[in-house]
Amino acid sequence: MAEPEVSSAASAGGWRLRNAFGGVLCAFTLLLIGVLAFSIRLFSVIKYESVIHEFDPYFNFRVTQFLSKNGIYEFWNWFDDRTWYPLGRVIGGTVYPGLTLTAGTIWWLLNSLNIPLSVETVCVFTAPIFSANASWATYLLTKEAKGTGAGLMAAAILAMVPSYISRSVAGSYDNEAVAIFALIFTFYLYVKTLNTGSLFYATLNALSYFYMVCSWGGYTFIINLIPMHVLLCIVTGRYSSRLYIAYAPLVILGTLLAALVPVVGFNAVMTSEHFASFLVFIILHVVALVYYIKGLLTPRLFKVAMTFVITVGLTYASKYIPIIASVSEHQPPTWPSYFMDINVLAFLIPAGIISCFLPLSDASSFMVLYLVTAVYFSGVMVRLMLVLAPAACILSGIALSAAFDVLTRSIKFQLSKLFDDSPAASGDSSPESSSAGTVNTNSTKSESRTEKSETAPKEKPSKKNRKKEKEVAESVPVRPKKEKRLLVLPFELSVMGILLLIVLGGFYVVHCVWAAAEAYSAPSIVLTSRNRDGLHVFDDFREAYGWLSHNTDVDDKVASWWDYGYQTTAMANRTVIVDNNTWNNTHIATVGTAMSSPEKAAWEIFNSLDVKYVLVVFGGLVGYPSDDINKFLWMVRIGGGVFPHIKEADYLRDGNYRVDAQATPTMLNCLMYKLCYYRFVETDGKGYDRVRGYEIGKKHFKLTHFEEVFTTHHWMVRIYKLKPQKNRVRGKLKKLKSNSKTSSTLAAGQKKNPWQ
Amino acid sequence: MAPAPPRHLLLLLPLLLLAAAPAGADDLVAELQSLRARSPSGVIHLTDTSVTRFLSAPASRRPYSVLLFFDAAALHSKPDLHLPQLRTEFALLAASFHDRNPGSGDLFFADIEFAESQHSFHQFGVNSLPHVRLIRPEHSTLAGSEQMDQSHFGRLADSMAEFVESRTGLEVGPIVRPPLLSRNQIILLGILFLISIPFAIKRVIEGETLLHDRRVWMAGALFVYFFSVSGGMYGIIRHTPMFLTDRSDPDKLVFFYQGSGMQLGAEGFAVGFLYTLVGLMIAGVTHLLVKVESLQTQRFAMMAVIAIGWWAVRKVIFLDNWKTGYSIHTFWPSSWRIWNHPH
Repeated sequence: MAEPEVSSAASAGGWRLRNAFGGVLCAFTLLLIGVLAFSIRLFSVIKYESVIHEFDPYFNFRVTQFLSKNGIYEFWNWFDDRTWYPLGRVIGGTVYPGLTLTAGTIWWLLNSLNIPLSVETVCVFTAPIFSANASWATYLLTKEAKGTGAGLMAAAILAMVPSYISRSVAGSYDNEAVAIFALIFTFYLYVKTLNTGSLFYATLNALSYFYMVCSWGGYTFIINLIPMHVLLCIVTGRYSSRLYIAYAPLVILGTLLAALVPVVGFNAVMTSEHFASFLVFIILHVVALVYYIKGLLTPRLFKVAMTFVITVGLTYASKYIPIIASVSEHQPPTWPSYFMDINVLAFLIPAGIISCFLPLSDASSFMVLYLVTAVYFSGVMVRLMLVLAPAACILSGIALSAAFDVLTRSIKFQLSKLFDDSPAASGDSSPESSSAGTVNTNSTKSESRTEKSETAPKEKPSKKNRKKEKEVAESVPVRPKKEKRLLVLPFELSVMGILLLIVLGGFYVVHCVWAAAEAYSAPSIVLTSRNRDGLHVFDDFREAYGWLSHNTDVDDKVASWWDYGYQTTAMANRTVIVDNNTWNNTHIATVGTAMSSPEKAAWEIFNSLDVKYVLVVFGGLVGYPSDDINKFLWMVRIGGGVFPHIKEADYLRDGNYRVDAQATPTMLNCLMYKLCYYRFVETDGKGYDRVRGYEIGKKHFKLTHFEEVFTTHHWMVRIYKLKPQKNRVRGKLKKLKSNSKTSSTLAAGQKKNPWQ
Repeated sequence: MAPAPPRHLLLLLPLLLLAAAPAGADDLVAELQSLRARSPSGVIHLTDTSVTRFLSAPASRRPYSVLLFFDAAALHSKPDLHLPQLRTEFALLAASFHDRNPGSGDLFFADIEFAESQHSFHQFGVNSLPHVRLIRPEHSTLAGSEQMDQSHFGRLADSMAEFVESRTGLEVGPIVRPPLLSRNQIILLGILFLISIPFAIKRVIEGETLLHDRRVWMAGALFVYFFSVSGGMYGIIRHTPMFLTDRSDPDKLVFFYQGSGMQLGAEGFAVGFLYTLVGLMIAGVTHLLVKVESLQTQRFAMMAVIAIGWWAVRKVIFLDNWKTGYSIHTFWPSSWRIWNHPH
């Protein structure tokens, strides 16, 4: 903040001291906010252990391991033959490399500093580290729009917003973890460029955009939101050369850089998501040209040109609406989702919107636009709540900061008046607060009026300059009007208001801690349940993957439903047929068909794919609801979609998938049923399925083409081996046996497996 | 909808048929064609007697197929069945078919109402709606006719047309939908638009359009916010009603649905209103109330804001806990604990 020149040297010294103290306090607060953002995400590590949680992160982890072992060039050209057998997958060209490269760099840096952390540890803590970065970026962004106080408030709120916690707890090693930081930082640099008009920040902005493109497919949000803001500025007559500098380099450099990312490539210029940015780029040039010509033209001609531009803008907007409307296949959230994910911020955002309009600057209009688009998209698709979270935090921070500003000012001024009646003393003791307190409505209004009247300023004064002007303008007329009443509220009610806002904030903190600890920190790889006896831990998944990696051959192929593909490759290091990257529908349908076929047909399918082991997840014994029987309908549907001999109706009784006595014969004979319920009756004598809540239909049966090789402690994972092919001719059988023996000994000689 | 033919005539016809030589197939076709001509949409309205006459006849005298729509006026008010919508789509399908095949005697479209033809519903074995059946000449019994699968209602008339084409081999052709606005309305709107253009240009040149007014942008932003946090998009995409009637007590209305997976329109807007209200009140205190001169007004308004805000926030928290079943609790250091809490 610039100090008015009229103030005396003494007060300038005092002010400098205060400013320095404020700076130190601010830095310290930011440090604490970073610590808060990091530590609130550690519940999963404290409650369970330092592991990676979900399905997708295991893939990212495996890629990072590969990167740290083989270096960046190998990673770039990596063809992975462990998945999608026999097709394989080109990894380097089909992933967003941002997260992997970030974690790889952190690991490399730590190791070169002789801090020997494992790749897994680095991966587990990448998301919390970047949450701290994101809250600092939020501080910077909000500070650009509404000052330091709002910035600190917004950063503190963002550090613990549940919506963001849900995707960034320790162990959730997913793209969003770094992408949200990149998103906020890109917006910060854009607003910074808009406020300063500096090409340096514009270049940084393009680089930050490049990082975002590397990290997440959600970068299209940026490349649509910023053009929308530019268009809005143009349409409302706020064009300036700063706007041009903020936008034109971003489009050119950003697009060139984005095309460097293999997974984006020529999509950066050829797909419709990017067209908006180019269209606005053209409009911006037309407008820039018009503003240049304006000096040469009569005002009247200029206005005709303006009309033309506005019409073009409107046609663009109307064209854009169907694109937005077409997203409507996605999952819309209900109102409790908002309360769960942004909690009391939902109450504060409207106040933030209004604060942004009083007065409206380029930066604050960007905030409002960001919020409005994000809240709309989140209303269409619940996953985009994550994009809404930063906007919600920024606007709530602005609202809370404005409210605290007014209330503390009221208390501070009237408190000093209570102790000391002389108004001059109070004025001297808090020159800043009184001058801020007497912010005359007229001055702000007149300023906005001047802004309006000059519809097309050649170059608006930058924000800093304007602030300076404003303060100068205020401080001059304010002094004589000291006796005029200050903009304050009643003392006792202000105290009450502050207390209530603190209670509201306290509730937010309690909710966030609860959400972080209870709702979002449960890994799906280790499960727990509580009952009267105490805590039960189900570690069956790792047990099964451990068994696979120790007891099977390195080149054996394991078939399972695609959900478990990433984990099998990462934890068991075995080749899988399908995995969570669902790029080949036919392949998934083949596995689905095998699972829904009778034993013999399934064996033939699996044998044709060289599969040796089949893995199923079964929750009937412990009551784990997301098991393969509950996912079975997708296997039937996807399988039936490609192979018409699988008909869903054959598995349905009265429209339901049932596995009890009423189940259809097809259901009771399919491979999935048999593999899940084989020997199940031996557990309790009745075959009672705890997930479905009834006794199973067919209890005693034998497997002809598969043999059980491993079942985990709680029966959650069961692994079966395909029986060798039966031979009709005796002599051949012997020959084959001896062949397979030699081959297996050969294989055993190659691999280092202490268990065989 | 076609008016039902006079009942005595219908009763008389089978008797005549029995007495005289059995009516030829051509007679039945001709009769159906005349019935169809009398109906504006080309959908024949059947009753118990006409079902017996046209559909229970032996296949040799029934060379035509009939696509039968089972309707129930009493269920039109159930929003999740979409019966009225499906009925209009069915009429569109019939009209499109007749446009393509004028005077065809191979396929007829008919509907039947539950309240007046309960016997036929029983004969067909229909006990749930929506239900559409195709009775082809080779079907010997009514119950043996083919039911249209639920999936064929999905894309309305288009998917029904696919069903008909695949089963009968007849071509339905493109579905002809009436345009949203009639020709005259379009002309009127065009004229209004042309008239307004000079005014609009004048306003734009003066810089006084709505686009230049900050209050419009502010109101728009607040409205989008209100609409989204209310789950309004959920209501649009999932077609949820504003409220339900209580199953046990039809006079009672249910506005709040327990369970976080679903919401009703009214509850969303109520909560969205509370969200927005509190925000607006905070903004009012921060930006508006400070400028009020009278201390008394300030005091009164702030008290009201605090009271209403307190109530609204509590209400939302209560509703959320009730709806989702979550119990949010605090975490304290374990050394502070006097007794051993199960957590």
